[in-house]
Amino acid sequence: MLRFLSGRVLGGIASIFGASILAFVFLRAIPGDPARLVLGPLASPQAISALHKQMGLDDPIYVQYWRYVSDFFSGHWGFSYSAGQSVGQQIGSRLPASLELGLWAFLFAFVFAVLLALLSTYRHRPVIDGITRALAFIGLGTPPFWLGLMLLVVFFSWLGILPGPGSRIGDSVPLPPKITGMLTIDAILAGDPRAFLSAFVHLLLPAFSLGLASFALLVRLLRANLAEVGREPFLVVVRSKGLGRWTAHRRHALPNAFLPTLTASGLILAQLIAGSVVVEEVFNWPGVGKLVVDSILRQDFSVVQAFILLSACAYVAINLVVDLLYGVLDPRVREGAAT
Amino acid sequence: MNANSQPVLSVKDLETVFHTGAGTVRAVRRISFDLRPGERLGIVGESGSGKSATALSILGLIEPPGEVVGGSVLLNGRELVGRSDRELGAVRGKEISLVYQDPMSALDPVKSIGKQLVETIRRHDRSISRKAARKQAVELLRDVEVPQPERRLDEFPHQYSGGMRQRVMIASALANRPDVVLADEPTTALDVTTQAQVLELLNRLVSERGAAIVLITHNLGIVAEFCDTVRVMYAGRLVEAAATRTLFRAPAHPYAGALLRAVPRPDRLERGPLPAIPGAPPNLAELPSGCSFEPRCPLGAGRPKCLQDAPTDRALGARHVECHFAEEQLKQEVTA
Repeated sequence: MLRFLSGRVLGGIASIFGASILAFVFLRAIPGDPARLVLGPLASPQAISALHKQMGLDDPIYVQYWRYVSDFFSGHWGFSYSAGQSVGQQIGSRLPASLELGLWAFLFAFVFAVLLALLSTYRHRPVIDGITRALAFIGLGTPPFWLGLMLLVVFFSWLGILPGPGSRIGDSVPLPPKITGMLTIDAILAGDPRAFLSAFVHLLLPAFSLGLASFALLVRLLRANLAEVGREPFLVVVRSKGLGRWTAHRRHALPNAFLPTLTASGLILAQLIAGSVVVEEVFNWPGVGKLVVDSILRQDFSVVQAFILLSACAYVAINLVVDLLYGVLDPRVREGAAT
Repeated sequence: MNANSQPVLSVKDLETVFHTGAGTVRAVRRISFDLRPGERLGIVGESGSGKSATALSILGLIEPPGEVVGGSVLLNGRELVGRSDRELGAVRGKEISLVYQDPMSALDPVKSIGKQLVETIRRHDRSISRKAARKQAVELLRDVEVPQPERRLDEFPHQYSGGMRQRVMIASALANRPDVVLADEPTTALDVTTQAQVLELLNRLVSERGAAIVLITHNLGIVAEFCDTVRVMYAGRLVEAAATRTLFRAPAHPYAGALLRAVPRPDRLERGPLPAIPGAPPNLAELPSGCSFEPRCPLGAGRPKCLQDAPTDRALGARHVECHFAEEQLKQEVTA
């Protein structure tokens, strides 16, 4: 198990190294002088070269790279000139909103995927199976930004039953004390049902828009795996012991069918947290995705650079958790790693 | 075996079909048999003759595209056909249980052996605590001669050998002291020495618990050793029913005769290669109008009666047989 894990950790470090090189090269390859961007077109050449020195742009490239990486891991993510704030502060203030949105989207996608996949396979029901497959098909083919806009038009503009873009919680609702920065979780921790409900209602449309494609992907994977595991003899045996169809499938088919989708689930979760740019844009959600887009438009690349490395770390961390989960959930992996 | 007691399992005109793209496959065609308490009944036949479908039909575990279309299954006098899955669930594993043919794929790979046994026990008696059920599971494993049962209870199927897994299957099938055990090819996937051990175990446990058993197999040797009575299955029909000794002495159905002659025995091998049964079993989706064995029958091939009329079940002495010319077959067997 230790060997297995250390291999995974080494692989993760290699991935992060690769991402850091990419982010670093990306920043150097972009046309335009960072010092000029900061000081503006009217700055004197002296001022520019002084800032070059101050920013370390005169140093050899490997020194610059080393400074970038060591600064990143020691928490100095640079300074965002457009926001007049350190990048760490900026991302720190935006990350909880993205995390919350991504987690809820994942929860929605995961719970409904498991439920629908089970419902459509636990017994022979062609109609429900057909509906599930159609939903998956539609979900995969619907662009999130379009879906988000349509949902806003219907539920906000026409029906007026759900809140519109631009806020995470109702104006009249007092914010729960900040612990995680995720409003729903803070509300639960504070025991504030009103704040939870308000934050939840604000999350509904963005989380649905963000999660639908992931739901579709998961339901397809799970349905196929469940159908396959459903033909395994051990299910007949379990049923011959007296278990009903639903119990047999939930208790015995699902864990077996779930194993192959674990990797995909991890990737989906990482993607939902790090890649919600489009949905954040549509719903004017104050998350990291929107911050990154805005920073790119303002050519404020220190934010982008930090974000690339950060999301690489998130992917690696989630994959590591997935690998650990395999060890917990699949006794065969556990044994194979031990011997 | 008490011949006068009420049957614990009574199957009558049971009929099961599978709706496939190539037509309706009639896997089990109106079969009937009675099983008395403690009786060991063997069902023999070649692959695809409907043996496994029979077991699953009795348990009500035929899933679409399959369907039990008729007949009756009385277990302890209660009808099982047409019952809801929930009602059947209360019976399965408690009054009637299944030992599956392939132990390698018959256990859930991600649940420990102990969990799977505890599940069987607690499914039918929620009042048993997990701890007590675990104790019972240890006893069960000890009963089926799994060494170090306390330790091995927490292991997973992949840590068990094929023979050990089949012992676990038997333990699970007998956990709630059922009246009837359906054993579908219980030893086919095992090597010969393990086969003998598992059979011996099954033999002992079934006797101790007084359970009746339906042993489904293609292996006549196992039937000869294990069973009181035999049913020979061909193309979804039970074509001969007899006491084991009667059948082995002189089979009355030409198919049973051909099966027996195909059993390898050292004294026969000296006389040349084993006589194979020519041809293949009929397509169960397009059965001929006459006897389904007619095209392969050494006795009746081409005879007008066999071509036109499907033979029906008739008594012949102490046995039942479905053949127009069973007397002729018997005479041959006696003189041979």
